[in-house]
Amino acid sequence: MKRMCLKVLIIALSVFMLGAWGLTDNAAAADTIKLGFVADMSGVGASFYKSQKAAIDLFIEQTNAAGGVLGKKLEVIARDAQLKPDIGANVARELILSEKCDFLIGPTSSAVALAVTKVAHEFKKIVYFHTSNAEGLTTTNFQPYMFQVVPNTGMEGRGMALTLSKKPYTKYGYIGPDYAYGQEQFASFKKELPKQKKDAQILEVVWVKLGENNFSPYIPTLMAKGPEVIFSSFWGGQLSSFIKQAVPYGLFKKATISSLFDLDMLRSTGKDMPEGLLGYARCPFYGVNNPEMAAFVKTYYEKNKEWPADWAIMAYDGLIALTEAIKKANSTDSEKVVKAIEGLKFKSLRGERYIRPEDHMANVGIYVGTTAKDAKYPDFLIMKDVKEVPAEELWLSVEEVKKLQSEKK
Amino acid sequence: MTKEYLLFMLINGLSEGMLLFIIASGLSLVFGVLRVINFAHGSLYMIGAFVAYSVSTLLTTGSLMSFLVLLLVVPPIIAVIGFVLEVTLFRRVYREEHLLQLLLTYALVLILDDVVRVVWGGDPRNVARPDLLAGSVDIMGLALPTYNVFILCVGPVVAVGLWLLLYRTRSGNMIRAAVSFPDTLGTLGVNVSRVMTATFMLGCWLAGLGGVLVVSLASIDLGIGMQKIIECFAVVVIGGLGSVGGALLGSLIIGTGVTFFQLPFGRWALVFPYLMMAVVLIVRPWGLFGRPER
Repeated sequence: MKRMCLKVLIIALSVFMLGAWGLTDNAAAADTIKLGFVADMSGVGASFYKSQKAAIDLFIEQTNAAGGVLGKKLEVIARDAQLKPDIGANVARELILSEKCDFLIGPTSSAVALAVTKVAHEFKKIVYFHTSNAEGLTTTNFQPYMFQVVPNTGMEGRGMALTLSKKPYTKYGYIGPDYAYGQEQFASFKKELPKQKKDAQILEVVWVKLGENNFSPYIPTLMAKGPEVIFSSFWGGQLSSFIKQAVPYGLFKKATISSLFDLDMLRSTGKDMPEGLLGYARCPFYGVNNPEMAAFVKTYYEKNKEWPADWAIMAYDGLIALTEAIKKANSTDSEKVVKAIEGLKFKSLRGERYIRPEDHMANVGIYVGTTAKDAKYPDFLIMKDVKEVPAEELWLSVEEVKKLQSEKK
Repeated sequence: MTKEYLLFMLINGLSEGMLLFIIASGLSLVFGVLRVINFAHGSLYMIGAFVAYSVSTLLTTGSLMSFLVLLLVVPPIIAVIGFVLEVTLFRRVYREEHLLQLLLTYALVLILDDVVRVVWGGDPRNVARPDLLAGSVDIMGLALPTYNVFILCVGPVVAVGLWLLLYRTRSGNMIRAAVSFPDTLGTLGVNVSRVMTATFMLGCWLAGLGGVLVVSLASIDLGIGMQKIIECFAVVVIGGLGSVGGALLGSLIIGTGVTFFQLPFGRWALVFPYLMMAVVLIVRPWGLFGRPER
């Protein structure tokens, strides 16, 4: 009886497999370019996904209206990776094998991104990362079928060390979430700071377990040794919550906080956000001045009735780079497009950018500025005097990159 | 590091401990009478927090009145949920083995957590503190949030309230009798089942109170129930299962410990509650205030 079951099962599976092969062969002939979006749609990923998807949809709408790419229409298929690496890898496989996607768009979580990049390598399908920003994606976990259009954790850490070292502070504190993102960012910050400023000292490092939203036990420890400036790797809801709780501890009377002030976070903190904090963003629409950005912001606002978050702009920029590479290669073949990507120059919403051939990292810097009120945005604060710290000052040298890539995991 | 700062951290830690006590005392009380470890206690606390959030959206933000309304309305709502759970589910497993009880309460954790996910979604929520409690109190030149001071005061009120209830009222006598001599109590003609329901509701009321207090202290999300039940479990193991006094001591030890050990040990401070728990289990398995099982 048992054997019988097994036989039936094997036959059934074979039929399914053959069926699937048959189907996919037919679909491949279509004259569309399919983009598989491995998205983190649930949990803390939800608000990111909303912005990313809105921008991707807008790009596709505009491109298809203008005749598509190489005469082919673009199409996006999104699947939820649920912020989980194993699910992300499965979803990526499914998008490639059953949905026959030609290219992949990366997730929000860096952990998922590391899983997806492996699948992309395995199937030789190009994936681009716009929000997940582990530096490892371009170094120890580098594979040629990827590119990154978001400043990575290393660049953020070094960029803030560079920016803060130019201020008169010497006593630093650090607080961040105890997982890869926070640890990598802090490691780069700690390595860079003494290079920029000999007398700088990091007095206290406070690690908060992931998902913790009550900071009462941590704030007094952070303040105990009297740092003048606190660098933090918190982001989004956790940062917002931390700032709100730090105010009654008088933290902002004694020190300032520097962290990722992305648009979502600024919107959700609203009027509780203190003024005059020096921070950074990956891509603030209000801090970039060029006609392309202005046109994008206008269309995006009209369509979605809200301002584009950093994640939206970066997802959009990634598609500009990808479609430019396809045009340059005059093909959707992965090998040819990869060749085109290396050294590709493209006109992003952030201005002229290129992709470095050695690690497929776009020269996207971080934007630093100081929080302030603005009459145009009555519900939240933005950053004033925004300046871009160019990627060339922040990213690893080609030698360092090559060394790390040869230590491939 | 000054003496003032150490005292400041102690006060800050005590306030953490008090919040923990309010929740853990409910867990301990329920175990004492019902002999069921209610893993869903953390989920009820989380539901309390989310209900408080929903009720607050109907009220004016920042007013003391709204805050008092939350304090008065939300804990009874959780107590009513507790009533339904006790009558329909818990009552059936009192005489069953521990494994079955665990399965039931753990299943409840999964169900209630998913209910919260469906009703409120995964976004973090927060209720603004009332203006009166939003500022800070000056303690030797250091600022302590008024809200934390408030929690520090609520804790002892709850502790004294529970003590008066348990030791100075007839219902309290019955609850204590139900802990020590449930069978004798039954033969004396007392409706033990009703005592159990009432105790369970009281436990849930405390979970609800904790929920109301935390929603303005920090942000709440889907993880807070699980996180709190683990801490509460450490508290009752240290203090002794079933003992409210033990829960108070255990909470204060863990609250101050976690805050204090941040400074010398950093991220290793997280280990403290479990280390304490292990030490107590080795040295005095029935907890500091508990009694060995008969």
